[in-house]
Amino acid sequence: MSARTTVDPVTLEILRHRLDAINDDAAATLTQVSGSQIAVEANDMNTVIMTADGTVVSCGRYVLVLVVSMQLVVADLLEHAADNPGIHPGDQFMTNDPYIGTVHQPDVVVVAPVFAGDRLIAWTGSCVHHADVGGPVPGGINDEARSIFEEAVPIKPVKLVERGVMRRDIEREFVGRSRRPDLEALDLLGQVAANRATIQRLTALVDRSGVDVVVGAMEQLLDATEARFRALLTSLPDGRWRHVVHLEHGRPDGSDGDVYAVRLTLTKRGDGLTLDFGASDGQAPGAINASRAALWNFALAAVLIHLCPQIPWTAGAVRRAVEIRSRSGTVVHAAWPAGVAMSTAAAGQAIRACVNACTARLLDASDAGSALVMAGCQFAGGGGGVISGRARDGSVFGTMTLDELSGGGGARTFADGADTSAFTTSPGGLCANVEVNEAYLPLLYLARRERADSGGPGRWRGGVGLETWATPHLTGAPIAILSFGQGLQHPQAPGVVGGEPGGQSGFAIVANGTTDLPDRLPMPTGGMSFAAGESHVAASQGGGGFGDPLERPPGLVADDVLDGLVSVEAARRDYAVVLTPSGAAGWVVDADATAAERAARRRARLDGREPVERRSTPQPGRRLSSVLVADGDTVVCRWCGTPIAPVGAPVEPGLVLERRPVSARGGFGGRYPGSERFEVRHLHCPGCALQMDVQVARVGDPLLAAIDTAPPPLPTPETAQAGRK
Amino acid sequence: MRTIGVDTGGTFTDVVVVSDDGEVAVGKAFSTPPDFEQGVLDSVGAAAGSLGLTTAELLAQTDVIARGTTVGLNGLLTGTGARVGLLVTAGFEATLPLAKANKLYGLPPEDVSNSLKWDKPPLLVPRRRIVGVRERIDVRGEVVVPLDEAGARRAIEQLGEQGVEAVGISLLWSTVQPAHERRLGELVREILPGVDVTLSSELAPRLGEYERTSSVVVNASVGPLVGGYLTRLRGRLAAAGFAGELLVMTMGGGVIPPDVAARASIHTLQSGPAGGLARARRVAARLGHDNVVTTDVGGTSFDVGLVLRGELPFAHRPMIERQALAVPVVDVASIGTGGGSIAWFDAELGTLRVGPASAGSRPGPACYGRGGEHPTLTDAAVVLGYVDRLGGSLELDRDAAATALARHVAEPMGVDLIAAARGVFDVATAQMADLVRRTTVRRGHDPAEFALYAFGGAAGQYVGRYAADIGAAVVVVPHLAAAFSAAGAATSDVRVRHERELAPRLLADAGEVDAVLDELAGRARAEAGGDARVERRIGLRYYRQIHAIEVAVERVDAAGRAAAASEFQKRYDDIVGAGTSASGAPIELVSVAAIAVRPMAARDERPLTPGTGLAPTGSRRAWFDGAEHDTPVHDWERLGAGAVVTGPAFVESPQTTVVVHPGQRASMDAGGNLTLTTAAPG
Repeated sequence: MSARTTVDPVTLEILRHRLDAINDDAAATLTQVSGSQIAVEANDMNTVIMTADGTVVSCGRYVLVLVVSMQLVVADLLEHAADNPGIHPGDQFMTNDPYIGTVHQPDVVVVAPVFAGDRLIAWTGSCVHHADVGGPVPGGINDEARSIFEEAVPIKPVKLVERGVMRRDIEREFVGRSRRPDLEALDLLGQVAANRATIQRLTALVDRSGVDVVVGAMEQLLDATEARFRALLTSLPDGRWRHVVHLEHGRPDGSDGDVYAVRLTLTKRGDGLTLDFGASDGQAPGAINASRAALWNFALAAVLIHLCPQIPWTAGAVRRAVEIRSRSGTVVHAAWPAGVAMSTAAAGQAIRACVNACTARLLDASDAGSALVMAGCQFAGGGGGVISGRARDGSVFGTMTLDELSGGGGARTFADGADTSAFTTSPGGLCANVEVNEAYLPLLYLARRERADSGGPGRWRGGVGLETWATPHLTGAPIAILSFGQGLQHPQAPGVVGGEPGGQSGFAIVANGTTDLPDRLPMPTGGMSFAAGESHVAASQGGGGFGDPLERPPGLVADDVLDGLVSVEAARRDYAVVLTPSGAAGWVVDADATAAERAARRRARLDGREPVERRSTPQPGRRLSSVLVADGDTVVCRWCGTPIAPVGAPVEPGLVLERRPVSARGGFGGRYPGSERFEVRHLHCPGCALQMDVQVARVGDPLLAAIDTAPPPLPTPETAQAGRK
Repeated sequence: MRTIGVDTGGTFTDVVVVSDDGEVAVGKAFSTPPDFEQGVLDSVGAAAGSLGLTTAELLAQTDVIARGTTVGLNGLLTGTGARVGLLVTAGFEATLPLAKANKLYGLPPEDVSNSLKWDKPPLLVPRRRIVGVRERIDVRGEVVVPLDEAGARRAIEQLGEQGVEAVGISLLWSTVQPAHERRLGELVREILPGVDVTLSSELAPRLGEYERTSSVVVNASVGPLVGGYLTRLRGRLAAAGFAGELLVMTMGGGVIPPDVAARASIHTLQSGPAGGLARARRVAARLGHDNVVTTDVGGTSFDVGLVLRGELPFAHRPMIERQALAVPVVDVASIGTGGGSIAWFDAELGTLRVGPASAGSRPGPACYGRGGEHPTLTDAAVVLGYVDRLGGSLELDRDAAATALARHVAEPMGVDLIAAARGVFDVATAQMADLVRRTTVRRGHDPAEFALYAFGGAAGQYVGRYAADIGAAVVVVPHLAAAFSAAGAATSDVRVRHERELAPRLLADAGEVDAVLDELAGRARAEAGGDARVERRIGLRYYRQIHAIEVAVERVDAAGRAAAASEFQKRYDDIVGAGTSASGAPIELVSVAAIAVRPMAARDERPLTPGTGLAPTGSRRAWFDGAEHDTPVHDWERLGAGAVVTGPAFVESPQTTVVVHPGQRASMDAGGNLTLTTAAPG
């Protein structure tokens, strides 16, 4: 290997732009050939260019979690395939094994080495969510699976294309597993074509600029981006933050055996970041777990989204400054043969939400970083799932409707969360038109509407989610439905800086004509279906709010009421804004009543005490968050100066705690068995009554010490405590 | 007689006049928003002057004026459209705000990886003016829930109380069964007389309620503006002596009568790029180029379009200002790299960047001498000596350009001024090449197989470099390049397209669509007027795939279906590669269309006389390949047919400069088009 070539700024910029263009063009080639609704309409795919060791240089903006850690696949090949069957020019390898490098089995990765002469200089890869990769149930996700052997059994990396020629035996073996071999074949062909296009273009680039320049440019871009990311980290204060998200799987059994906690401790020290998931609970037998690959993909995607809005998404560079710790055998790092097929709608979401919540706390600890804070978006929850049955023409179908790609976005420091905007980890993902779904599925939608009050209340409101009602239409057979099941018993999309969590997921099967859902709803189980005369009701979650909802300008609340995003009742309940009718369908703020109501709420937060005055400028001291500073040895409220805790001790015990049942915000809260095990903890300043934090927790669990207040230097990284299971 | 083509851009209003004897005149004047008619008359006056005529004399000799307008777009950009109310199927009031969960598409590229900027497209109608009406039609067009007329009346009255000036109506499956939309339209006209009404089943009968609803709202919003404008323009032209036919350029690449444009103003939103492409199609037909990729360098953007086998392909999912459109829009890709793009050294990344910030036209590049302090792409071209004046009159200030470039690029990078300027030039033209490549690759083609056209005022300065980068075999800077969109308007046929997407059905069972085609054909022919000829087409695709391809048919009988299936298969293989299609897969029929074309009088420009004007008219110092050359300047107008210029050289007209790089040759043909033969520059 020659010494590294230094590339001049002009050539580097040209190559930077061109690598991204080549990678994006490969995605276009993929969708041209595949033509599948999932790849093209929902954009559930992505492409990537990597260095010779698999470090990701360019990744597309489609579904990030599919590709940001594709290095794992390349590393596996370099270890296992180099000698036998060998890695040669023109070869391409495929796998859908989450225990190697994909997120779950339907996500099929195809990677190809790029050679200059006989020198391996790069890899290209693509990943597409395939409609059906086989296994016991259509769509590939078996909620009842007790191990991966009851899911689609994954394929370890195999050579799909040998020196430029598709291996028909491998292709037949793969597509033959599927209920829709025709669609599988086109998806696979699209991936192969995308890799070929990238190889051809990279080879042309090498011919023109020289191999050392191209390789040098990739390394230089990685180094520069890494330096930029590390500089960002250096500019942020050192510290340690925690977050917990709960998942459920199986039936409530009295011992909470169905509840799984994902626990993250994020440590920022100097120019590095450690994400320690080691304290997460042990794995479930099937479905909801994340493999280590899914953990890395979701965690790194979340870091890119939440810490790197102003840094190029050169994922491999960012990866170098992030250490991810986990224990094998946990729900975020499953050990073979645990099932993992639902990871994208379960543990993966929990991982993303934990990183989102902790990075928000990290950013909020400095004046400069705080502008980048964003609350949590929806989880892929119980409203989502796979439906299957007989189409109008009698053929078998099994698919997602994609209606779940519609939950609320997290609130920002300058704007509400984007309504019905879906996951941050799938920036380019789209849901489908009702007419497109009705054209192919034996369904009649009765409604698809924004859910009032589902956005997490806050100074800035979380985005609202969506509610759909659909009934079988023009089919004699009932439609089976498998729900992803999460977020029915408790809210999951975290609010930040005193903002409240987004509204829960919803799932119900009711008789047509039902207007008010029953107060109690059964949890979805395997084997559920809805028939003619019945409707499937599904709701996607709202996004989390930012800041204390009592600080939201009443005029914005009134606007939300006029637009149907907040109900009149919730304006009063969640924001203490009193509205009076005006005109035909109008409402106006009753300013006096609102001021009185808000004052009463603040007193109630302090058990009847009158709150102290707030300062007009923040209390000086070492900033811990937008509501806390360390003043000498004491953590005090940044807005009223009231002492809260000694520096070094958890702050939460020093705040005024109010516990609310998950039913307190209405909606789907409290309707499902098991929801009584959760509560929402509102933590208020003991002086000025400001809502400083809101935590969703299991009843009886200790308060989460979400923020370490000790001054730097940090003690050595803590060793992860074993989870409860 | 004569035809006048008009195109109103952000800065200038261009006019091209073509005459029966082949004489051509060009006029240019400042656009005059919001009173756009004045700019049109000014520009017509300038063209008349160059012909030795008064405006009234020119207009009296003119039988057709074809107009590209940005009145509608301007209304969208400035939020001055009508106050719109929207009626939708009850339960689906969220269709528009949901926007299929799009938080990303249509954002500027620099925001695509910035999660804080992810948001929905702006709502042109607030939720409080979106009202549901109880009714429901299913995929077959059967009424599942009858229209609740009493509820509909209340909904319309509620919109009336909110003071709406236009009402959009978009119901589920109205493309298959428009009865409920039509009845609602009647009710609106009855209850709110004088309010504009747009029905989705008439305006944008495509499957997919979001895009249809969005189109209805855009149309309702800009309709009154555009309609009012066309009425005023007609009055002003008539008063000035014009008694001929006024036509309006569409985004679909043809011209339409003004009454059609007033009913469906959405088609006029952004006709400039379509005008350019329509002109390119005509030039391509003359030069015998099957496939052309067109490029247009403006002040703030670089636009790329395609002509494929003489057709202008439509965008798959068109969007303007993030509003989705379910109408035919010629596919034009755009990036924010233009003459005004600001160059800067990104010390952290170690790269020389061009854009995304732009100096715009105010203050503009440093060389404009209007106070711009940041170096732009144009400044780099000025420093290299490639251009020294703008639009024939504005002298460019090389010292100001050099100062800006030295301070912000050369010094931070530690290179000399010329290296900095060349770097800026190289980075920008490489970005342009990347977009050209993307545009052809997305259609399954290699750009090297295309003829590359460059038009717009500035493309000639840069095309030599980006064309070499992509390996284009033929490069043409066409006649009238600097007023190309206006030339396109002047030479376009009347083209009225009516289409309807249907619930997908197997082609084998699709006999009944002839009746639909007959209806569409009748409407298209009537609207196009005169003795328009009608072409019928059906859109086909493989089961549940996305690539629908339109093929021409006479009748959709057994023979017609078989011929269509075979043509479809062939075209599909062209796009995705032979052998990749699952030939066993069933073919679906998803749409029908009728296109009425009324050819306009062909007033072809007079051929150039051969061979004159080979001597340069001057020279200027310019930098190529790191050395300064005394570079000859040729006058475009004086180069005769067959003239050949060898680089390094400049070919200049008052509106444009073509840079012929060393190793390149430029030859003038009888049509006044300059063809560059590109060898790789050193």
